[in-house]
Amino acid sequence: MKATGWLLTVLCALSLSISAQDGQQSNEGGPAAVIRGLEHAWVEGQSRNDNQALEMIFDNDLVYVEYGKLVTKGKYLARIKQASPQLSEIVMEPMTVHTFGSTAIVVGTYRERDRQAGKRTVRRWRFIDTWVFQARGWVLVAAGAAPTTE
Amino acid sequence: MEHVWALAYIAKDPKALARILDDAFVCVNADGKLLSKADILADVTAVNTLQLLTESMVVHLHGDTAIVTGTFRTTGVERGKPFMRRERFVDTWIFRNGQWISISSLVTFAHD
Repeated sequence: MKATGWLLTVLCALSLSISAQDGQQSNEGGPAAVIRGLEHAWVEGQSRNDNQALEMIFDNDLVYVEYGKLVTKGKYLARIKQASPQLSEIVMEPMTVHTFGSTAIVVGTYRERDRQAGKRTVRRWRFIDTWVFQARGWVLVAAGAAPTTE
Repeated sequence: MEHVWALAYIAKDPKALARILDDAFVCVNADGKLLSKADILADVTAVNTLQLLTESMVVHLHGDTAIVTGTFRTTGVERGKPFMRRERFVDTWIFRNGQWISISSLVTFAHD
């Protein structure tokens, strides 16, 4: 928990110090690096049931689509709080960050490893996340994923 | 703008759709495939969409960024096979040079 809190503090400080830039950009440096870090902090926070960390990353008006259902920030955080980290693991794969001024789109894939009733399953998902630069830095305003076999 | 998008599919009008998609537009479809603007424009003419019914739509504004979520039903013919789907979407729009442009879209099968 402390490690995640420290990481988030650093990431938030970074995001506050870097101003949003104009124009569409590809991968590396500046906002893209900050957002990439926030994506990893999200997975880290989720794996530790650290709702306080996630609270800082998510906008209050977050819309999140998981398993084909639309959930609010409150519902998502409630699910994370009750989830057993030992039964589920998220492994991030390469992602691409595109910035459009104060808006950023992240596209990537991840593997979800589940262990339930003695069975192990691995599913691969492709996601799109939308981040917006606000007074407190970059925050997640929309996210969703679709299962992929590629 | 969302309706322009839907009508472009019905009318097989990629030019209308091209005007509202950014050149860097990305889409993840319900099969989990990553599609570019060019892929989507090709899809408009490749798929024979007979009906596209938007069931619900909500717009969330964040300054010059808008998130649109909703569900829609489509019926049509793709590669000779008829299909009927109910899908959920999350579209991201930005306001630039006096107009709204879509920069991303996520589509997944609706499970509720």
